[in-house]
Amino acid sequence: MAIPTSQLAPVDSSPIVSPPLTKDGVEQLQQWKNSGAILTFQRWIAIIGSLLVVSLALCLLCLQFGATKLDMGTVLSTLSGWSASGALDKAGTDTSAVIMLHIRLPRVLTGFLVGGSLAVVGVTLQALLRNPLADPYVLGVSSGAALGVSLAMLFGISTTLAFLPALPLFGFIGGLLSLGAMYRLARSRGRLPIQSMLLAGVILNAMLTALIMFITSIMDPNRSAGLIAWLMGSLMVSNYGILSMFALYVVGGASLLLQKAQIMNILTFGEETARSLGVETERVKKQLFFLAALLTGAVVSVSGMIGFVGMVVPHAVRMLVGSDHRVLLPASMLAGGMFLVAADTVARTILAPSEIPVGIVTALTGGPMFLYLLLWRKDQLV
Amino acid sequence: MKRRQQGILTGMPFMAHVSSRSFVDDAGRNIYLAKPPVRIISLAPSVTEMVFAIGAGDRLVAVTDFCDFPPEAAAKAKIGYSNPNLEAVMALEPDLVLAPKEFLRPDIIAALEQLKVPVFVMAATTIEDILAHLGTLGRMLGHPAAANDLTMNLRQELIGIKSRMEKAPPIRVLYVLNSQPLITVGPGSFIDQLIRLAGGVNVAAKSAAPYPRLSMETVLLEDPEVLIFPVGQAEGISESEQRTWRQWTGMTAVKAGRLRQIPSSIVNRPGPRIVQALRMLAEIVHPELDLSSSVNR
Repeated sequence: MAIPTSQLAPVDSSPIVSPPLTKDGVEQLQQWKNSGAILTFQRWIAIIGSLLVVSLALCLLCLQFGATKLDMGTVLSTLSGWSASGALDKAGTDTSAVIMLHIRLPRVLTGFLVGGSLAVVGVTLQALLRNPLADPYVLGVSSGAALGVSLAMLFGISTTLAFLPALPLFGFIGGLLSLGAMYRLARSRGRLPIQSMLLAGVILNAMLTALIMFITSIMDPNRSAGLIAWLMGSLMVSNYGILSMFALYVVGGASLLLQKAQIMNILTFGEETARSLGVETERVKKQLFFLAALLTGAVVSVSGMIGFVGMVVPHAVRMLVGSDHRVLLPASMLAGGMFLVAADTVARTILAPSEIPVGIVTALTGGPMFLYLLLWRKDQLV
Repeated sequence: MKRRQQGILTGMPFMAHVSSRSFVDDAGRNIYLAKPPVRIISLAPSVTEMVFAIGAGDRLVAVTDFCDFPPEAAAKAKIGYSNPNLEAVMALEPDLVLAPKEFLRPDIIAALEQLKVPVFVMAATTIEDILAHLGTLGRMLGHPAAANDLTMNLRQELIGIKSRMEKAPPIRVLYVLNSQPLITVGPGSFIDQLIRLAGGVNVAAKSAAPYPRLSMETVLLEDPEVLIFPVGQAEGISESEQRTWRQWTGMTAVKAGRLRQIPSSIVNRPGPRIVQALRMLAEIVHPELDLSSSVNR
């Protein structure tokens, strides 16, 4: 990933008749420049590098825990044996190797990707809507995806379409449709006013959630239990095929968002300021917004509704590394991944041999964290 | 739940003289029926099957959306399930509502009590409970002879299957209620009991809940010898979901190719077809044993 230089976004060659900088905007720009948080290449490497190391260590640690506790030696030797042979089928006989390579590893990887995506989308939406409460759930995309899955379950659709399992596919379609609806509702005269975007999202969310409730209420109770369990979040991915498709998607979407870090920095000063600095705000908003929605649709279709990651993680990371999106985005991605991997490890082990839905763990740990920030660190909450 | 009247001096529960017309339900409530009811509403598929099985199906005025057996039940008026429409219930002027304890909202029972509609709550957790329910319904609806014949036959068949299975070697079983996430049956659930009666050992036996979300790691460690998937029209585990289980090539059940299906509507319902469900399970778990010599109905 290319590290953006600290220049501002290139101005279009066409001369822009820009409104004068608002007083407020100028002050903010000055503040930002004087805050000492000017990003150096060394600082970026130090922050992201150390987070990467911690992430890797945490994932290895979490690979030890589960129905059986493996020691680190076994974890490492299994991993190295696998990477040496390169074939997953080799693990077909040794149960602990199968458990590690086919259950734990995919789960840890899925958790990392899902958590990372949710956090990155959270940062993006918070920048876009300049609202600290924005997270992937606010826009109704995740409930749209969840409705798609619920419908597939209601009608017992079980076909595989183009090698994709039906449920994620339906989730994806549902997410996209609700995004489209939101877009049509919020758009006025070719613009996307932030107020109407938030409003449309909140109302759509409520309506879609009601439809999901309706579906669970008319289903056979024996069947709806499965749907409700899925809605509460689960990181069980049935095979590496789905996982690798999802990974491609997440890495693609996230790297596109990471490239827009500098523009997000400018957007946080307000649209007027951004326009006066030569940013085509409407076009940028649409792009960011679509990327965020696509990523959310993919995440929900794989893992259900996991809340709080997109809201809590960006806030915590902001306190640690400041609000420059060039650091905030990658750092949030890593931190979100870690948070969800840790939460899922708790979900897998706390009631072994049973599991609890990971969405419950994220809400019960993320909620209090957020309230703590709210109570004691009000001044630092952006 | 209604408080029973206390004896003035004794503080003991007031002993209503138990006539053949009064019945105590599974919620500990006492209902008195002056004459056998003729307009009955059933609020569970299992209950509907029981009423038909003792020959009183013609008295049902409404059943749930999920009552599809026997075929005559499907033709009855529908009234919802876990959240039945109270006005529709009242409009049918029932003289008895048969309600399951699970899935039903408790406030519905309270509301019906307020409206002076006799509600009889049934909670079957064992096969014995089902047989007892059949007997009670027989007396309640004035079909005691039919109910007795039925329970007698069922009991004989049950004993036949049990005695054969007691000698059989235990087989490790995983019953897949839901694949993503994995939900199975644990101790305290009805199906767990059936698996044990059928000569199986439930791999989720150590779980704390009746319907636990079992971790896949535990499944591989316990290594089930048979996987059982409930299947049905709009419920149960789809073919493609079942196929995903074949990826666990180290599992004994997959090696032996023992992925079996069972009709969910028979196994999930604590009703008169439960012995049939047990027979199916027993044939899946112990196909080597010949069950046909026991009474076949």
